[in-house]
Amino acid sequence: MQPPTHTLQPIERQPWSPIGLRALFAKEVRRFAKVWLQTVFSPLITTSLYFLVFGVALGTRMGEIHGVPYIRFVIPGLMMLAMISNAFLNCSSSLFQSRINGTITDILVSPLGTAELLGAFVGAGVLRGLIVGSLVWLVAAFFVSPDIHHAGWMLYFSVTVCLSFAMLGLAVACLAQKYDHLAIVPSFVLTPMTFLGGVFYSIDMLPEPWRSVSLANPMLYMVNGLRYGLVGSSDVPILTAALAVLLLVTASTTAAAWLLARGRNLRT
Amino acid sequence: MPPDPTPALSLRGLTKEFGTFRAVDKVDLDIPAGEIFALLGPNGAGKTTLISCITGLSRPTGGTAHVFGHDTRHDFRTTRRLIGLVPQEIAFDPFFTPHESLLIQMGLMGVKPDPDHADELLRRIALDHKRDAYTRNLSGGMKRRLLVAKALVHRPRILFLDEPTAGVDVELRRDLWGEVRRLRDAGTTIILTTHYLEEAEELADRIGVIRDGRLILVEKKRSLMERLGRCSVRLRPETTAPALDSLPFPAAELEDGQIEATWSTPDDLQRILQQAAQHFPIASIEVLQARLEDIFVSLVGHNAPQDRD
Repeated sequence: MQPPTHTLQPIERQPWSPIGLRALFAKEVRRFAKVWLQTVFSPLITTSLYFLVFGVALGTRMGEIHGVPYIRFVIPGLMMLAMISNAFLNCSSSLFQSRINGTITDILVSPLGTAELLGAFVGAGVLRGLIVGSLVWLVAAFFVSPDIHHAGWMLYFSVTVCLSFAMLGLAVACLAQKYDHLAIVPSFVLTPMTFLGGVFYSIDMLPEPWRSVSLANPMLYMVNGLRYGLVGSSDVPILTAALAVLLLVTASTTAAAWLLARGRNLRT
Repeated sequence: MPPDPTPALSLRGLTKEFGTFRAVDKVDLDIPAGEIFALLGPNGAGKTTLISCITGLSRPTGGTAHVFGHDTRHDFRTTRRLIGLVPQEIAFDPFFTPHESLLIQMGLMGVKPDPDHADELLRRIALDHKRDAYTRNLSGGMKRRLLVAKALVHRPRILFLDEPTAGVDVELRRDLWGEVRRLRDAGTTIILTTHYLEEAEELADRIGVIRDGRLILVEKKRSLMERLGRCSVRLRPETTAPALDSLPFPAAELEDGQIEATWSTPDDLQRILQQAAQHFPIASIEVLQARLEDIFVSLVGHNAPQDRD
């Protein structure tokens, strides 16, 4: 080994670590970018197939819903499906894998606080969700001319929903004890709730009591909020949808921040 | 200018409990800056848990830990920048190369990623030829060297080495020892746990022995070996062994017929040799120096005195 050129770390207080936040965010982005076929392209193919089958092949037989051609009607729901699962999976799999393979040590010994950890992990999850959602929208643009009814609401629902599910992904990664636990939430909670949240239909098409039951599904507000932003149609008032998603952001952020601050299953 | 009296590490009543099990039991310890401190103890004694409580991997349930006067719990952002940890377990993110891993770790530790510094570290640990290989393709010894480099990316003032040479070959072990000495010469405080007592004997300025979570002994290596070390001399008689009670010094006869006597100073040894030569012809002489291993076994071995309630 060669002699070290060693200058010791100065002893000084740091209020927070912006360099650490950037480094962890960049690491998380590079992590999913390095395996883009699996993390970005694969969900794009799946969602595009949904779009081809339900939108293009069956859509012509469905007519219009609330005055919107069916092929346009399903685009926001499919985008939401892709954004939710990718934002969730990016955070949950990254943090949980770090726990299992021991690389979490690199983060735990660093001067990063809860805010930086949340910002970096969730930022990367939101970015992946938005990238995949945008690609789904671009694929749809090949089949129908794209329209944006209200860019502000479109952005609001896209970002807040990705944020919520990235936070939930972190929370689940803190709580999970094995890989099976990570799969439980997407398979048994997210996918059923998303499909029953009006991705492929309007709840006005459901008989009672299922129509009323559907109003208790938070996914309904997300899907319809984004649908309003893109095509101007929604089963629920847009402000109600916006408030519902804001509540979900608050709840999921509180849960993730609390678990990270306590170091649940991270620090012994 | 007088040296800074603030200890690099100061522990007061540091305790870690897992339910009813007390893994670290009210540990008090001061380590001055620039010292190499070896923490010894049998498996499960609490060495790694103690380190984890200081470095942030574990949360103490009692007591305090200060690094250069800063509380590791309330001022963790300051203390963690001053600490480097080489963990016992080898773990790497398979997505990144050694060079990328070092740059990422620099950022995580709050210093601006510096590619030249990463290259210098790779040269120092002789891994520059693996700069752009995936870490999963490195050998076990290479991965352990990379762990050392990762712990040094932010130029820490205290370096914790938790079993740093476990499973590495002799040459690499010697290289790592050299690196540890160079870091100490540059002002870094080194705290190492090891199962290789030869390592502690070779490197440490002071020794701490932990058993059942309690720090049962802290002493300078030299005085510890002088105080507790047992030196002996073995004499093989040319013919039959003499009667032990005829000898003017305390001695014992070994199974192979050798006579063994203990000594503490070179004068002692000389006196024993002279007196022995007057009593019987000597065929061979074997002088045995005190070893840290013997002291360690006497302190923590199965027959060691128990000081727990």
